[in-house]
Amino acid sequence: MNLSFLIRRLLTTLPVLWLVASLTFVIMHLVPGGPFDREKKLPPEIQANIDAKYHLDLSLGEQYLFYMKGLLRGDLGPSYKYIGRDVSDVIADSLPVSMQLGAAALLIALVLGLGAGLSAAANSSSRFNHLSLFAATAGISIPNFVLGAFLILVFSHQLKWLPPALWEDSRSIILPAITLGLAPAAYIARLSRSSLMEAAAQDYVRTARAKGLSEMRILFVHVLKNALTPIITIIGPLTAALVTGSFVVEFIFSVPGMGKFFITAVTNRDYPLIMGVTLVYALLIIIANLVVDLLYTLVDPRVQLE
Amino acid sequence: MKLFLIGILVTASVAGLFFMQQGPNAPDTQATFRMALSSEPPTLDWSLATDNVSMRVIENLMEGLVSFDKDLKPQPAIATHWQVSEEGLRYTFYLRKDVYWSDGRALRAADFEYAWKRLLNPETASEYAYFLYDLKNATEYNGGKIDDPSKVGVKALDQHTLQVDLKKKAVYFPAMTTFVGTFPQREDLITRFANRWTEPEHLVTLGPFQLKEWQHEYRLTLTANPHYYEGRPPLDRIIFYLVEEETTALTLYETGGLDRVSLPPIAIPSYQDHPDYHHVPFLRGYYYGFNHQAPPFNNAKIRRAFSMAIDRSELPQILKGGEIAAGSWIPEGMFAHNAKIGLNFNPEKAKQLLAEAGYADPSKLPEITLSFNTDPTNRLIAQNIQAQWKKNLGIDIQLDNLEWKVYLKQLQTETPQIFRLGWGADYPDPDNFMNLFTGTSGNNYTGWANPSYDDLISEAASESLPEKRLALYDRAQRILTEEDAAIMPLFFASQNLLVNPKFEGMMLNAMDILPLKHLRPISHKGGDS
Repeated sequence: MNLSFLIRRLLTTLPVLWLVASLTFVIMHLVPGGPFDREKKLPPEIQANIDAKYHLDLSLGEQYLFYMKGLLRGDLGPSYKYIGRDVSDVIADSLPVSMQLGAAALLIALVLGLGAGLSAAANSSSRFNHLSLFAATAGISIPNFVLGAFLILVFSHQLKWLPPALWEDSRSIILPAITLGLAPAAYIARLSRSSLMEAAAQDYVRTARAKGLSEMRILFVHVLKNALTPIITIIGPLTAALVTGSFVVEFIFSVPGMGKFFITAVTNRDYPLIMGVTLVYALLIIIANLVVDLLYTLVDPRVQLE
Repeated sequence: MKLFLIGILVTASVAGLFFMQQGPNAPDTQATFRMALSSEPPTLDWSLATDNVSMRVIENLMEGLVSFDKDLKPQPAIATHWQVSEEGLRYTFYLRKDVYWSDGRALRAADFEYAWKRLLNPETASEYAYFLYDLKNATEYNGGKIDDPSKVGVKALDQHTLQVDLKKKAVYFPAMTTFVGTFPQREDLITRFANRWTEPEHLVTLGPFQLKEWQHEYRLTLTANPHYYEGRPPLDRIIFYLVEEETTALTLYETGGLDRVSLPPIAIPSYQDHPDYHHVPFLRGYYYGFNHQAPPFNNAKIRRAFSMAIDRSELPQILKGGEIAAGSWIPEGMFAHNAKIGLNFNPEKAKQLLAEAGYADPSKLPEITLSFNTDPTNRLIAQNIQAQWKKNLGIDIQLDNLEWKVYLKQLQTETPQIFRLGWGADYPDPDNFMNLFTGTSGNNYTGWANPSYDDLISEAASESLPEKRLALYDRAQRILTEEDAAIMPLFFASQNLLVNPKFEGMMLNAMDILPLKHLRPISHKGGDS
């Protein structure tokens, strides 16, 4: 592994995060409405006290500098909605749950997606191939709130096998993980199928067959390894998206994850929380892409990290 | 550093997947009541709480000088009784001597004095500080005009006597001490633990339950307080799960995971004959306001015409939640409610009023837009009203919906011609509803001001004879909804609930206050002391 590459990449993370933070700061303040706007309007004295407490009485430029100074110290600031809690507390409480759910969903996506892709590629002209293609298309097309409601109806209401919601024991994760993981599974299945079929048509595969190698060995050793590059490419951002949670899935199954904050922080105009979840997401994307780059070198020796 | 720590959680959390706790359906030998909260409580600091979710929890952890009975009448709680001075400006509250905090320390009147001054302290930045603005020098202290808190009209005379001085007579004042912001607080603990004083390991309370666990974004567990002054409550435990989606909560209720849920509007018709179903009025009004500052609604005849062209009885039929159609503003269940007040549906009279205003041909009216915040119920109502105005007046109006905070900003900066708003009771007194539309009210977005109306509201607030007070509010309501038609009330909301019949003693009321101290499982009657 090239150490200077790693150091360079990690150093480029800082300006990227600064850019993300600055753009987010500007955009969120462009949206009309403030964090303490309520149906019941506050008397001016009280509004002034709140503005002073949260430094909202400063100019926008001063607020930006104040936030950035805090960020340099690793301080994400206080949440405006969850009074008395820092944004880092809110994220630390919710991100682990989203990660658990995201990891389970990713596992489902990879096992189902690669399994279906491999089976379809190995039996490219069979009915199974068409069936898996249809299932993959359906998996991508069905919205997760429909799928979630359907799973609750069947497995909780009718069969009473699994809890319909909450986050109590290991059974609680099954339905939300399937709901979250099925669409990525379908996407991986389609991608891996086409990638595998393209790799299977290469000359080195014909050579392997001519040498009399078994079909299984050809598929797993020669085809799969060379077909992995596009799959690895999407796994990076997919992992970041899954482990930071999903608003819809967390909403339907009452999962105490971080995904809901991508929506509610904006609707509440909880500026520090908007900044916090955006930065965490950006950081995870950066890390995931770095891991993807490292994985490229493992599956394709032609790739050099410079 | 904190970002780095969050990064470490990536690894730890995946490992945690296999170590989750025991499920909710596991056998439970304790008397446990489980219900949903619609979101994470933003805070359990009762000086800062403003939302129903936080209040729901705090009301079971704490008590104040006065509490409501089931009919929302103020009754002694921590105060055994109180005296009012002859001129009505000084209240003296006498406290019980058998009230102890959950750490064993006796309650002192000074705990109230501290809490009230903390609520008013500008540094606390409490949104509900105005609840105590009736106190002498309270507004000045909260607004930073005076720095000395000792000048604020609240003082502990001794261990068990609290004296309150008001700047003006307010006959509703004892009812205001039911509000969570007036509950006592521990200065020693708040100073010591700062922002963390409401976490379970630090929180000290004196109500029927105490906070055992607060798993943020997920659940809160309350356990019975054995030292509660009325005796240990029958329930051993309350678990509040944070379930934002109403249909998910309903599914959990149906599968035995919850004991009380609010019904989503779409499910109400299916459950109205269910034995667990409860329907309770709600002290919450829904109205359309007019912008009086610009034509055409700067003309009272046009406002009255628009109000009279609405058959409000259609609204409960389309909403199906047991709403009460209303042309008056003080809600049913509150003192001075009068269903006879308000402009009745009369399309012919409405057309005549339009003609008198110079619009016999309604197409001559300028383009009219009705604005509301984005919400399926608001849209349904707006579409019905739009259709009724088209049918009864021949007027086409445009609908405009905006995201909530954008909508609030527009109300403040560029008030729409017609806008939707609601109001829920902070305390069950008509002053809370009628004060809204005085000329100086920050919540009056209409731009309407009528000195006669303001005088009536001010007079009613200090009138202690119920008959006279009733007459004053009747007169004010007629100005507001009939003569000036400053607003167009539409209906009063209601609550639709399912409650597990295995429990009895649920106190359902129009304020949606939910004290659970009298709740008991039917098979568990011997629990309290």
